[in-house]
Amino acid sequence: MSFLLTCPHCGVREVTDFGYGGEVTKRPTGSPDRRELNTYNYFRRNVAGVQREWWYHRSGCRAWFIAERDTTTNEVHKTEAVG
Amino acid sequence: MSAGFLTVAAGGPPARSPLAEGSHRGAELEERDGWMVVASYGDAEGESRARREAVGWADLSHLPKAELSGAGTWIGSPAEGLATPRGDGWSCPLTPRRALLVGDTGAPPEGATLDLTSSLGAISIVGPEARETIARFCALDTRAAVMPPFGFRPGSIARTPGYLLRAGEEAFLLIFGAAYGAYMWEVVADAGSRLGGRPVGAAALTPALPAPRQEVTTDA
Amino acid sequence: MSRLAATPGERIDRSRPLGFSFDGKPVTGYEGDTIVSALYADGRRVFSRSFKYHRPRGELCGCGQCANSLVDVDGSPGVRACGEPARAGMTVTHLNAWPSLEHDVMSATDRFGGRFTQVGFYYKTFIRPRRLWPVYEKVLRRAAGLGRLRERQDEREWETEYRRRHCDVLVIGGGVAGLAAAVRAAELGADVVLCDEDVEPGGALLFEGGQERARELADQARAAGVEVLTRAAAIGTFDDLVPVVQGSVLHQVRAARTIVAAGAIQQPLVFGDNDLPGIMLSGGARRLGALYGVAPGKAAVVATVDDRGLDDALALVAMGVEVRAVADLRPEVPGGPAARLREAGVEVLGGLTPVRGHGRRALEAVTVARPRGGGERRIDCDLLAVSAGAAPALSLALQGGARAAYDGARAAFRLTDLPAGMFAAGAAAGFDDRESAERSGLLAGAEAAASLGRHHPRLREEQVRLGGERPEPLVATPPAWAGEGGKAFVDLDEDVTVKDVKQAVAEGFESLELSKRYTTVTMGPSQGRFSQLPSARLIAAETGLDLETVGLTTARPPWTSVPLGVLAGRPFEAAKRSPVHARHRELGASVRWAGDWMRAYDYGDAEAETRAVHEAAGIIDVSTLGKLIVRGPEAGELLDRLYPNRISNLAPGRIRYGVLLTDAARITDDGTICRLDEETFYVTTTSSGAGAVEQWFTWWLADWGLDATVTDVTQGLAAINVAGPRVREVLARVTDLDVGKEAFPYLDAKQAKVGGVECLLLRIGFVGELGYEIHCAGAHGQALWDALADAGAELGVRPFGLEPQRVLRLEKQHIIVGQDTDSESTPYVAAMPWIVKLDKEQEFIGRWALEQRRGEAPPLELVGFRCADGKVPAEGSVVLGDDGTPAGEVTSARFSAKVDAVIGMARVPNELAADGARISISDGGQRIEAVVTKEPFFDPEGEVLRG
Repeated sequence: MSFLLTCPHCGVREVTDFGYGGEVTKRPTGSPDRRELNTYNYFRRNVAGVQREWWYHRSGCRAWFIAERDTTTNEVHKTEAVG
Repeated sequence: MSAGFLTVAAGGPPARSPLAEGSHRGAELEERDGWMVVASYGDAEGESRARREAVGWADLSHLPKAELSGAGTWIGSPAEGLATPRGDGWSCPLTPRRALLVGDTGAPPEGATLDLTSSLGAISIVGPEARETIARFCALDTRAAVMPPFGFRPGSIARTPGYLLRAGEEAFLLIFGAAYGAYMWEVVADAGSRLGGRPVGAAALTPALPAPRQEVTTDA
Repeated sequence: MSRLAATPGERIDRSRPLGFSFDGKPVTGYEGDTIVSALYADGRRVFSRSFKYHRPRGELCGCGQCANSLVDVDGSPGVRACGEPARAGMTVTHLNAWPSLEHDVMSATDRFGGRFTQVGFYYKTFIRPRRLWPVYEKVLRRAAGLGRLRERQDEREWETEYRRRHCDVLVIGGGVAGLAAAVRAAELGADVVLCDEDVEPGGALLFEGGQERARELADQARAAGVEVLTRAAAIGTFDDLVPVVQGSVLHQVRAARTIVAAGAIQQPLVFGDNDLPGIMLSGGARRLGALYGVAPGKAAVVATVDDRGLDDALALVAMGVEVRAVADLRPEVPGGPAARLREAGVEVLGGLTPVRGHGRRALEAVTVARPRGGGERRIDCDLLAVSAGAAPALSLALQGGARAAYDGARAAFRLTDLPAGMFAAGAAAGFDDRESAERSGLLAGAEAAASLGRHHPRLREEQVRLGGERPEPLVATPPAWAGEGGKAFVDLDEDVTVKDVKQAVAEGFESLELSKRYTTVTMGPSQGRFSQLPSARLIAAETGLDLETVGLTTARPPWTSVPLGVLAGRPFEAAKRSPVHARHRELGASVRWAGDWMRAYDYGDAEAETRAVHEAAGIIDVSTLGKLIVRGPEAGELLDRLYPNRISNLAPGRIRYGVLLTDAARITDDGTICRLDEETFYVTTTSSGAGAVEQWFTWWLADWGLDATVTDVTQGLAAINVAGPRVREVLARVTDLDVGKEAFPYLDAKQAKVGGVECLLLRIGFVGELGYEIHCAGAHGQALWDALADAGAELGVRPFGLEPQRVLRLEKQHIIVGQDTDSESTPYVAAMPWIVKLDKEQEFIGRWALEQRRGEAPPLELVGFRCADGKVPAEGSVVLGDDGTPAGEVTSARFSAKVDAVIGMARVPNELAADGARISISDGGQRIEAVVTKEPFFDPEGEVLRG
């Protein structure tokens, strides 16, 4: 695996320059029950296809951003800055 | 109480480069702005020739470095990948809200700064083989068409997070975590010496690292 | 040494002889020779013994592609002698024969091996009795493998250089197509790199009479700015990265576009004893003569399925080899070359193919016949030059995602469905002859450039012209195998025979992928170059499937063998070092890895160092602690949401301990938070956690969008902890600050000059004795250390390392996150429920999980223990439950001289987590009895620490 990823700030870099933060999930609000909390903590959709996910540009601007990547081909459709 | 303890204090003992274990070996040192700086490695002429004809590298860790955060015109846009000359230094955009200030930029008009001089080591790599030297440990694309003078790239340098600033056609500045100083000096020396280069002191270096205010000229 | 008359295209320089040795005997060659060409001129025909049967093997390809001439050069095994230039003074030895190449005792396996060497024999034969495997293994290991690596090499003997090269276009292959492509792309303004395995670009032009055109094209390419890399092999396609090995340099090429022009590999024929020395590819035979002036044989038979073999036969005639017959599988041999051969008096036999090689140590004769029998004829010869069609070298393109389709008319696969950014030229694209290959190169170069926005004015025109001009070569499809008797090899590298593959298919390994793994066909050093197509044909014949359905396997990288040294890289380790590192070395510290850092474990006497801290004072370099500056109007809010305790009500100049939790309430890190001013916090983390904590903070910051900034200043600050009863005396000598109990109470932070250096002093104590953690700019770190060391020298102060620190903190039962906690540990498990402030208004990370666990007894609890009998249990030892089954774990244990006992910490079941409870520890079968001690062993009330 050595695909390229486009940091929204720095531009194209090798994937090894980044940290992977997993798929974008929704943190519960209010006071979730055990089931909701466990689902949030431990379950992932694990899609075979395009997934929205967090990436961290560790060897770069040190910013987190969101990428839309096809998990079956590693093709990154787009990346966007957060915050 | 502020974070003043981050800053090298005037009047204290002379500050020591994080690369000193490597870069001070065989060096003639002089004190400059509170730092012990390498004047030469005993052969200023040979050092000059090395950086003119092959490559020279110098420990410039004493260059002031700071993080600028918040809003403001000084931060600029990271998308262009270019540093903006400010005073005798550069403002290098990281994100729309953060920039790295390198050199004597003077105080920015707005935003908050945090001194990173001690946090980051710096090596200047100068000469016709500068790009080839960097290619031995860094995968950033330094072709002039992609990264012209003043080009700035955060990226992986010798497998550690760092920054690369192109000060001129043949002059680059590597910026990296201070704790990697001894390692980085070893890596650069290994790459550069295979290309006919040598470490150089400030005397041999000065004409090659154009102050941003000056016209950028191609090195002879 | 016998050579042919000099020819203009030859590569050797006859004015510069050179000498080297082969198996101890001197050999003379010329500058420009390969090892094999020099040995050939010397009359040698056998270069190796085969992998399994130890059959003598001669040259096959003549260009460094086959595994028939693997030798050891100057102690490095696995060198391909037919591609390796001869160097004066080199020591060459054969690999796989004992006692000598001529007499190899292991060749008995060829004659008598029979059922022991059938396919899958390892799995079938050596499984019973199972206990004998170690014996089998020893014998097999000795018998298997090619060559021996030296167990030790000189330090840094292999000096690899890595070189990253970005370019617009990478052209793989420097034959006529590749050169043309490179020239065209470069002339259109692209930045082009071309790599070729040979010593000069030109490919087949170089030995097929086109050397002038080759040099012209190469000059044109260089003039256009192409970087031409020779003796440089592209070894794989890794998404956008193509590594190119050139001697000890590994070019990591990232090209926007790749043009695959890797040419074609001439294929062997499969028939009985088709491996006899003297049977080689016709192109290889031709190379020997054309490039090195070496006659490949005296009397030759040429066997072919296409015109290339006829051309090669003509070339052999021209160099003076007596060609006794040409067996052309095509019943009707067409046109020009055949006529010219006949004019030269060579008999051209249509419809025939070799069915059996004869000879004991080398080829003496060949029998040709019709593939399905009949028309047999035995012809004496010492050279059989074979041309069974050309298989385009597609592997690099296939690795990059291209597909291959079988082209029946050419009896070869060719590329289809090229991935974006990849182009093909020459044989890979189906253009075999020189003219159309050159045109296809020009077109691929223009198309690659056009895709980068550099357009050729007549691109469209050329596309049309080339499309109309793909010549259909007349090729006969070689039989899967021909003839009976002898061993018919499908794969010479691995000694896989027709019989083996047939047996594999019969046993059910019908797919190419399965039979490959079962028989190891195509898995040898030549990566299937000469065996992939023949084995696919054989499986097609055995299964009745067509070749398209059987398909091809994709050879894995490296496509060309690479010395491990090239992959190992430069011998530098990215170690972090503290600003005081040089001092530790001078003080004789034993320096070891601790996470990313090199740290002082001790200074030679850990016990004395521990004692010094208790009796006088000690200094320890803790610069490795993670350090973050969190600032901004909402910095306090951010920290309140990240820590389970309250941070925003901390007064400036005060410090609080904190742990970081996940939303499952698991502890990930700990450290201190010091408020510097209203909007600035100084956060420390564990040494190994700095990077992860920065990521964690900035991640939530990005998600929550609070007005705060997190900056990692770990590497910018030195931190030195001074601790011990005499610490105030030490500090009095180096600072004007009042460090007394009232002026500077526990958990206060103050800035002051120490030894002339601006510092932040934190009154905290990991080691338990009265102590101050002093932080300053890294550039002053060594000065601060020196000041403290000098001031303390008369007072009995010593530097202490990581090991004494571990003992000292254990006496206080201070935890180390990651050692005393694991990925399941909540604050309740870690026995620090006091840190959780559930009455806090913020929804901090981990709150919900903590709320759900509140009031429950945690299944395990971290406790201290003391051993009775002086044995130190290993960390990770098992704590036994009531029933004697594993129920907990020892996380830390040391002997403490201060406590005069072995002390430790362990996670134990809740029912054992009571002061005074007796626990049994099993350390690798040894039983150790211990008593739970929940109070710290040293200074349980904290009077010393706060004093």
